Amino acid sequence: MDLSFTEAHEAFRTRLRSWLAENLERPFTEDLRDPANGADELVEIRRRWQAKLNEAGYLGMDWPEEWGGQGASVVEKAIFAAETLAADAPPIPNFLGISLLGPALIHHGSEAQRRRFIPKMLSGEEIWCQGFSEPSSGSDLASLRCRAEPDGDDWRITGQKVWTTFGPWADWIFVLARTDPDDRHGGISFFLVPLHQDGVEVRPLRQITGESEFGEVFFDGALAKGEHLVGKLGEGWRIAMTVLSYERGSSALTDPARNDGYLEDLIAGLKENGTLGRPEVREKLARLIVQNEVVRANGYRTLATLASGRAPGPESSIEKLLWSEYAQRQSETALDLLGPRAHLRLRSPHARPEMDWAREFLWDRAGTIYSGSSEIQRNIIAKRVLKLPTA
Amino acid sequence: MRFDLDEDRALLKQSTRELLEAESPLAESRSVMEDSAEGYSKALYDRLAELGYQGLAVPEENGGSGVGWVGLAAVLEEMGRAAFPGPFLDLVIAAEALRGAGGEIADAWLRKLIAGEAVVVLADRETLSGEEPDRPGARFAGGRVTGTKHFVPFGRQADALLVTTDAGLVLAPRPDAGWNAEALEVLDHAQRFAAVTLDSPATLLADPAASAALLATCARLAAFGASALMLGLVERSLEMAVAYTMERQAFGAPLASFQALQHREADMFLQTEATRAAVYRAAWAADASPGEAPLLIAVAKVQAGEAGRKVCGENIQLHGGVGYTWEYDPHIYFKRIKTLEHFYGPVGDQLEAVLAARGV
Repeated sequence: MDLSFTEAHEAFRTRLRSWLAENLERPFTEDLRDPANGADELVEIRRRWQAKLNEAGYLGMDWPEEWGGQGASVVEKAIFAAETLAADAPPIPNFLGISLLGPALIHHGSEAQRRRFIPKMLSGEEIWCQGFSEPSSGSDLASLRCRAEPDGDDWRITGQKVWTTFGPWADWIFVLARTDPDDRHGGISFFLVPLHQDGVEVRPLRQITGESEFGEVFFDGALAKGEHLVGKLGEGWRIAMTVLSYERGSSALTDPARNDGYLEDLIAGLKENGTLGRPEVREKLARLIVQNEVVRANGYRTLATLASGRAPGPESSIEKLLWSEYAQRQSETALDLLGPRAHLRLRSPHARPEMDWAREFLWDRAGTIYSGSSEIQRNIIAKRVLKLPTA
Repeated sequence: MRFDLDEDRALLKQSTRELLEAESPLAESRSVMEDSAEGYSKALYDRLAELGYQGLAVPEENGGSGVGWVGLAAVLEEMGRAAFPGPFLDLVIAAEALRGAGGEIADAWLRKLIAGEAVVVLADRETLSGEEPDRPGARFAGGRVTGTKHFVPFGRQADALLVTTDAGLVLAPRPDAGWNAEALEVLDHAQRFAAVTLDSPATLLADPAASAALLATCARLAAFGASALMLGLVERSLEMAVAYTMERQAFGAPLASFQALQHREADMFLQTEATRAAVYRAAWAADASPGEAPLLIAVAKVQAGEAGRKVCGENIQLHGGVGYTWEYDPHIYFKRIKTLEHFYGPVGDQLEAVLAARGV
């Protein structure tokens, strides 16, 4: 057993920290709080930050060298994610493109697709969104009905996608569409579709927090060029499933690091309120710290397993359940303990400037639903790990 | 980075499992738990001593084999799985106290403990409430220790007790006439506790300040060791639940095919694996990054307690009617884990340790 970082890892962290200190103009929380910044301005700030990261070589670090790779492993990626978060850097706008589509093109795309799409994906010139979920197909994704029909050498896409993160600002979408109605999994193909065309309408979808980072995408005979089919016809399901595994481990350190900051804020708020000495407050706070350390311990396990060259097993389902359920408990406890002021949104008069607990409390409901709901994770553990029989 | 055990410790874990499966199958250890006064098999503890188990975590310069806390965790996890009865963890704790105290007498008893020639346990409880006074009521004067200690683990059979007193930690060898001890009948029928009334010759091992430091180390070791045992207990409880629900038929299908039960077993698995991550992270820190160890040991203990409640309780529930019979095994695990939760690093202490580590 060895849960320590190598000297090379620590050197990477040191270089990254000094780069962040030189290049980050101000914490992203200040951008968020600034009333001059509407949703579009915030996206622009994030886009500029992504371009900076790309110039410095921090994006696609673990990809092949010709596509921006630096020979980095999942450990450097995890350190990068944790450090940029600790510095309160803006999240990059093209995270779906870089974390999902990039690896998909590298593993399953054509050389022409890689040349056409990867550089602009990394620079942020083209923002991508993901077209997987549909109104009638969430957890049961393979039931999707959005269809692609041949039109000469090209394809026409018709149907609806929903919960499309970053849809309102995206330029392109990668879409799972049905090319054979009779083959549940083998009848799904993977297409790259431009959003700025007739036959595509993107509507913002307002979330529980009041923000609209999501969208709905309506296709009505939208054009997908023949050369923009990824992999072979009918390989979409397989590509989508493997793509989801590429990101494993890279956020292993991020959530506990984010939560360290949140817990510090909670402690500061309790001190201000003068309630930190109460036994029931102390117990609840201590239990949060414990749970966050358990999430971190599991993250180290995932990372160490990946770093020693083995595919993580059930750890990824455990990781999803642990962080998402912890987050709900953390924000709900914070609201319970901090009193009425915790209801104040970030830009409200009298709000504590550091932290929008009300937003976290609302947004944390999403974590147990997206990217494989808690129920799906429990199904995975029951079927694939415990090998329990089907009724 | 690597989460797996290295080759030596993996081998130690595997051979411990094989040894316990061969020599301490539950059917046999059940009768030791139920029928013997001692609560453990002397022959088996002798065998463990021959193989060096009692001195595993003791550094080599003190006569042990120094496998570190990761190695200790691996062994205790296996003992937990087997619900192995007796004072093994108590011996590990006492060995650490003797090693920390040092000096001729402590060294001599440490050697006997490692050789399997003496059972030495800590006698540090005086109240029934668990709210211990800052200064022990037991007294040491004129070479004698007097006072009453409660819940002394395996105290009636102990060859020596490490007693907390007003003057510090003392060592009291068993008088020729035996201890003046009452056997306590407790929730966990595998556990032996005694209330011991002392009035016998003793040797001072450490003054109050040194004792406080020793006892703090012992408390961490107790919490850590219990967490590792609890990991094994929950791991085995989950296996029992899965095996039973796969076999048991209801409504024309195995119980395990019903999603309501599958999700509960998935949660049991989640708790078990979260405990594994926490216990081995704590073990690694104790060996390699001691500054983090106090926090991470407390974290492991709290997590193991949560997992124990969930997994060992659910194991009974998923067994249905036979789950609360004496004949089936779930109750043995359910009881063991409660003893470990409450007597070896109670949760309140751990939560305060967590806050202290965070500077709160």
